[in-house]
Amino acid sequence: MTISGLGPHGERAAPPERVSLLPDDRTAAKSAGWRVAVVLHTLQSDWAKQQLTGMVGIFGDCGAAVIDVVDCGFSPDLQVAELDRLIGQRPDAIISLPVANEQVAAAHARVSEAGIKLVLLDNAPTGLLPGKDYTALVSADNFGLGKIAAAGLSQHLAKGAEVGVLGFAADFFATNEREIAFTDWLQINRPDITPRVRHFARIEDAAASAEALLAAHPALAGLFVVWDTPAMAVATRQAELGASLQMATVDLGEEAAIALARGKTVCCIAAQQPLLQGIVAAQTVILCLLGRPVPAWIALPGICVTRENVVESFQTIWRQPAPREVLRLLGLS
Amino acid sequence: MPLTAPDLTESHRPRGKGRPRTVETAAPSLVELLNLVRSGAANTRQELERQSEFGRAVVADRLTMLGDLGLVDESELGTATGGRAPRLVRFANRRAAILVATLDQTAIGVGVADLSGNLLTEHHEAADLTAPPDELIDRMTALFRWSMDRHAPQGAIWGISLSVPGAVQGTTEGDFLTATPPVLPAWEGFPLIETLTRRFGVPVWMRSSVETMTMGELHAGAGIGMRSMLFIKVGRRIGAGMVCDGQLYRGAQGAAGLIGSLPTASGGRSGTLDALAGSDMIQREGLSAAQDGRSPMLADILRRGGEITAIEVSQAAQMGDAVSTEILSASGHLIGQVVAVLANALNPELIVLSGSIVQTNDILLAALREAVYGASHPFVTRDLRIIRSQMGSSAGLVGAARVASEALFAPGFLKEWVMQGSPLAHPAFVTLQDRLSADAAPPPPMTARAGKELST
Repeated sequence: MTISGLGPHGERAAPPERVSLLPDDRTAAKSAGWRVAVVLHTLQSDWAKQQLTGMVGIFGDCGAAVIDVVDCGFSPDLQVAELDRLIGQRPDAIISLPVANEQVAAAHARVSEAGIKLVLLDNAPTGLLPGKDYTALVSADNFGLGKIAAAGLSQHLAKGAEVGVLGFAADFFATNEREIAFTDWLQINRPDITPRVRHFARIEDAAASAEALLAAHPALAGLFVVWDTPAMAVATRQAELGASLQMATVDLGEEAAIALARGKTVCCIAAQQPLLQGIVAAQTVILCLLGRPVPAWIALPGICVTRENVVESFQTIWRQPAPREVLRLLGLS
Repeated sequence: MPLTAPDLTESHRPRGKGRPRTVETAAPSLVELLNLVRSGAANTRQELERQSEFGRAVVADRLTMLGDLGLVDESELGTATGGRAPRLVRFANRRAAILVATLDQTAIGVGVADLSGNLLTEHHEAADLTAPPDELIDRMTALFRWSMDRHAPQGAIWGISLSVPGAVQGTTEGDFLTATPPVLPAWEGFPLIETLTRRFGVPVWMRSSVETMTMGELHAGAGIGMRSMLFIKVGRRIGAGMVCDGQLYRGAQGAAGLIGSLPTASGGRSGTLDALAGSDMIQREGLSAAQDGRSPMLADILRRGGEITAIEVSQAAQMGDAVSTEILSASGHLIGQVVAVLANALNPELIVLSGSIVQTNDILLAALREAVYGASHPFVTRDLRIIRSQMGSSAGLVGAARVASEALFAPGFLKEWVMQGSPLAHPAFVTLQDRLSADAAPPPPMTARAGKELST
């Protein structure tokens, strides 16, 4: 699978294989006994939990202790405070997902200035440079995810339809890329479709934002929400209102997988590979601590998931059986 | 954004006779004080008085005017050094924004910068520069509007600055463009500058990508604080940006550093540096190695339906593919021999290599280093560092922003608009707007021409 997006500074993506660990690397890492901290936007989502599972496993294999895992609750202020606190604990490396742009840039720069290796997930605040302010960025091909969602949803939209785009208000590389790619794909491939864009600031606001978007544009025939947790909040609210809106989103969370299998609202999911992304991020940390050069941007391709392939996709992505409810809805159990 | 006409209210209207009003004579002192604040040379009233040699009353009056125009901010207090804490004078760099874009052979990047040239956001995506120019400008417009919605929702835009893959003819220092200069054959006859000026109602600047990237690296990358630096961009074309005495050297026509057209010879072949070491050569040699099986890694990409570009060859070299390593190494040696000539002539402190081929592997950098160190005078290489840029395409965006911000606040340009508080009221720009409006409009009716608002 190819990577269609470019990195935050226009970098070409390096494949995950570029940061594979050799047996010698693991041996060398074990003898070093490094201490690593992880700072995530949330620990509540399936995506975050799987990502963490991937990281912790690799760090365990390499004898590195995970000394702290921080849930920032999407708060830039909390992330800044936690990064400053972690700098005081002097870990060898920090993996962080910056929850905003300008507000958290300086705090991340302070991590590198303190001599702590910093590997970013999904977002690189504007002005921070790889090699200087951080070691590498590991993310999905978010541009590709937006295109997958657009291609999937467009199949359910009649000629001349209007489609809603519910983007994230925070200035965030991953969600920006998805939103830009979604509308770009439509402009090129379905110029008859008119996108109507609105942004939500917090997950709790997503359903209300969708309602406001629908109120402003009652003819909306479909909706793209930039990740699954707010998408599910929107779907629940729409179901309560008795509305049926075809939706596409990103990330194959358990609830999203069930909604896809049910086949009423969610028609396409552009899925990331969070477990693999966690593994790749941890491998990148180990390699940079070993002094090996690592690429500035390592990207993982997205997977197009529909009702037809949701079971095998779930297994591929999560390395777990699909939820019982998914199997029941598809008549497989 | 509607374009506002120059403020010709009573206080600003030129007088026929008699002593000029203060507002008419204030422009030079406003320009000097604003640039002292903007450059960071002075940030309190006392420092401004000392550096400008204007009296206290003049400084106070001009700062009030600049404050009213929204160009400086005095709301913050500094550190007290004995007495009362001084009020800090800050340049209001968020008063407006600058839209910036880089157009590369295979990618387009857009960003929003503040008036100091700091990037607030950026986005890069793949693009084909050989596509029809109207498609390209429509895409750029869509991305500009998206960026403005997110980062300048109600703020003014004061300029657009473009970075393009070729020397820009006919640009003199600081001037915004009034017509589209010849840059690429595919754009010939297309009114790129006129279209952007009409759509956004702001002046447009344009520089070569080598120039903008050199400025970006100098002001925000590895070149910060450097007095002499060479910036080498390796792509389909190979170009050099030269920094002498802390300033970018542009040459008489803005065409300094076109090293890609120098004649070279390698392996029994002769041609320009572009032809023998640029990305076309890397792609061609890589494809050949994939087709005849000399490179199993590249052959595998072809077998799986992939395309071989210079990037695939670079990545294969990084992953240990012997033939790809050889191709990149040959390119690096050849470029290094030419760069060594420049290094011996300029004696730089730093050489920075950039371009997506350089970013994706270490081989080309290593070969270039070897060639430069081998062919240079020991004094030249004694403290010389040769590194890879960490900025990627961001360098072009940052540099483009610096081009516009330096032009907007160049004393000669600034004094023409500072009294109105916006460069959109600069007489030369108003004239351009009028001309473009007249060109675009149907034959004028007999009645007076309507207002000249341009919608963005």
